[in-house]
Amino acid sequence: MLNAIIPLLLDSLASAALIFFAAVGLTLVFSVLRVLNVAHGSLYSIGGYVAASICLFIASRQLNPYLSFAALLFSAVFVAAIFGPLIERSLVRWTYGKSEPVQILVTFGLFLILEDLQRMIFGVQSFYEDAPMRLLGTLTIGGVVYLNYQILLIGMALLVVIGLRLLINHTRLGRLITAVVTDREMAQSIGIDTNRIFILAFSLGVFLAALGGALATPTSGIAPGLGADTMVLAFAVAAIGGLGQIEGAAVASLIVGVARVLAIYLVPSLDAVAPYAAMLVVLLIRPYGLFGSMTARRI
Amino acid sequence: MAFKGISIVVARCLSSLELLFGLHRGLSQANLRLVADGLAGALAIGVAAATPAAAQEKPGSLGLGIFTFTSGPAAAYGMPGKNAADLIIEEINAKGGIEGVPVRATYVDEAQGAQGVIAEYRRLAADAQNQVMVAALSSANCLALAPLAEQLEVPTVGWNCDTHQLLIDGKRKYVFRPNGNTVPEFIAYAIYLLDRKPDVKTVAIINPDYAFGHDAAKIFTAALKALKPDVEIVAELYPKLGSPNYQTEISRLATARPDVVFSNLWGADLENFVRQAAPRGIFTSSQVILALGETVLQRVPLPDGVIVGVLGDGWWMSPDAKANPETAKFAERYKARFGEYPVFPSIKMANTLIYVKAAYKAAMQKNGGKWPTRAELADAMKGSKVATLTGTAQTRADNDGLVDQIVGVTVKTSGQQFPVIGDMVRYKGESLMPQAGQDPFAWISTLKPEFAKSLPKPGSYK
Repeated sequence: MLNAIIPLLLDSLASAALIFFAAVGLTLVFSVLRVLNVAHGSLYSIGGYVAASICLFIASRQLNPYLSFAALLFSAVFVAAIFGPLIERSLVRWTYGKSEPVQILVTFGLFLILEDLQRMIFGVQSFYEDAPMRLLGTLTIGGVVYLNYQILLIGMALLVVIGLRLLINHTRLGRLITAVVTDREMAQSIGIDTNRIFILAFSLGVFLAALGGALATPTSGIAPGLGADTMVLAFAVAAIGGLGQIEGAAVASLIVGVARVLAIYLVPSLDAVAPYAAMLVVLLIRPYGLFGSMTARRI
Repeated sequence: MAFKGISIVVARCLSSLELLFGLHRGLSQANLRLVADGLAGALAIGVAAATPAAAQEKPGSLGLGIFTFTSGPAAAYGMPGKNAADLIIEEINAKGGIEGVPVRATYVDEAQGAQGVIAEYRRLAADAQNQVMVAALSSANCLALAPLAEQLEVPTVGWNCDTHQLLIDGKRKYVFRPNGNTVPEFIAYAIYLLDRKPDVKTVAIINPDYAFGHDAAKIFTAALKALKPDVEIVAELYPKLGSPNYQTEISRLATARPDVVFSNLWGADLENFVRQAAPRGIFTSSQVILALGETVLQRVPLPDGVIVGVLGDGWWMSPDAKANPETAKFAERYKARFGEYPVFPSIKMANTLIYVKAAYKAAMQKNGGKWPTRAELADAMKGSKVATLTGTAQTRADNDGLVDQIVGVTVKTSGQQFPVIGDMVRYKGESLMPQAGQDPFAWISTLKPEFAKSLPKPGSYK
């Protein structure tokens, strides 16, 4: 019995970790900026491409392979530093206070541009670099071989949840963000530089998206189309957890992960629809998501 | 000529309109499709009728519409096909073209989806200079284009088109497939497996979630059950096409503990699966069959003993291919240009273009040296037998192809840095095909172990 449950549990957690990384940035950006960033999936795949490129460079120059772990983190910082301020200042800021269709159209346009840019720069072939995964080796649980890297991902996801909560609750920046989220006009009137908060929050969202893509690279292929798939899944998670809810995104990722894994183990034909079936059930019971509410907005 | 020009323009407009209306959910798309198809068909017939003289004179160039995936995850399979087309067309043109007419290819990216592919096909077909369509890679697109090819009367040669459903009704006049189909392709794996591992009891399947994956699973399972009824299928997984992550599926395969894992994943999906499954021990705990495994031999470090094949005879290192100086030359030119040796989709494309070239030659011999019409070209393809780079492509009365099937296992050799196919067998194309018009599953169910015993054995093709 235990032999049957352990793989289910581990696969659910590993799957949930990857899904969480795809969704948490989207939900954070929405909570602060009130913008549903459709281009989020593209930033996820750009993070993956950059990480894979740097890791391939490290391998080609026969540098210390452990540098590839630093490369994963660096690529997310790099993507966030370039794309965060650039996108927020040039496009997203024009959509603040505008209707949702306008915001979605603008970020969808950005999504299309970024997808084509990726094709132009990285080509159409699949990218794959698994050095970090190989370095960590494997372990056998319940007769099934798992990658230690999968366990690392679960730990990383937990760290991100805790880290974000600490950032929001126990740092000056977090309090400023909370003030802006709670009442943007009031925050502005007491002298908070909301533009700076918006840039930082958006860049943090981009960082989380790129980090998700970078961390996924060692166990997944990066190819054109990944951005769109990620975006759809991230929306489902955000909807289940409640838009703008960080812990909601974590719980929703777990629900989607469990739904997917159960489908693959028990009813493989439902694999693709399982996340959306879970979303449907949750939204029927709680239309604003598990952690969402009609009036209050929390992060 | 003026009528011809107007017809082309109007046909193109119709294609665009159809696309436009396809996006409008308020209108009846089915009715619009009917109207658009009918009008475009009538116009195309008008084009052909208005230019009888032109069809009999050698044109300035011969247009080929070539459909393949040049973007998206499927490009890993589609681009080698395009690369091969570029090379073969260059070679044909360097020798003066087909019967003295230079070839000009227009490539269509199948990644745009069936609606776009249909519109592109119609646009190209409306231009009388495009006499042949080499279409397509995806079975779904092949099925979508077949009725259109018949309606517009354009010879359409499936360069990949694996689905056995394409020519099953035996009524196609303009659609040809100088390849095998899913029936011989996947029966071959069942027979090879039982020869190599006769004690197999349990099998798990992981195939892409669309017709090709499901058809392959059905055929492979039906053949296994017919030849060894006690085989049990312990897991059947169909991940979404283009899925980047297979970790959960790999766990599921591992928990099922099958004797054999069968897969016809392809393109980037196959690369991803192999890279993710290898470190998790799937290749050591089970006998793995990768039906399209040859396509990743040069990219992914596959372990020894994996059963792989080429869905036909398109292995550039097979004894027949090595004995053909044209094939060796093609492989070296391909390697020099694209940095790796041709994979079997490249060979399939090259063989298809050789098939088209041979059809022109045959058609012109038949009509006294005049440039053939589209109908004459289609006639020349019917029943033809063409020597290709890797064997022979024979076309049956139902336009389906008879091509040998090569299967083997991965082995390392001193000659190459990547694994190659060893312990090979080459099954005769006709031995694994039902008769024209026969239901393939009814035929498979009649197979007996004696049938498998009568076929050549692994290692016999040297």
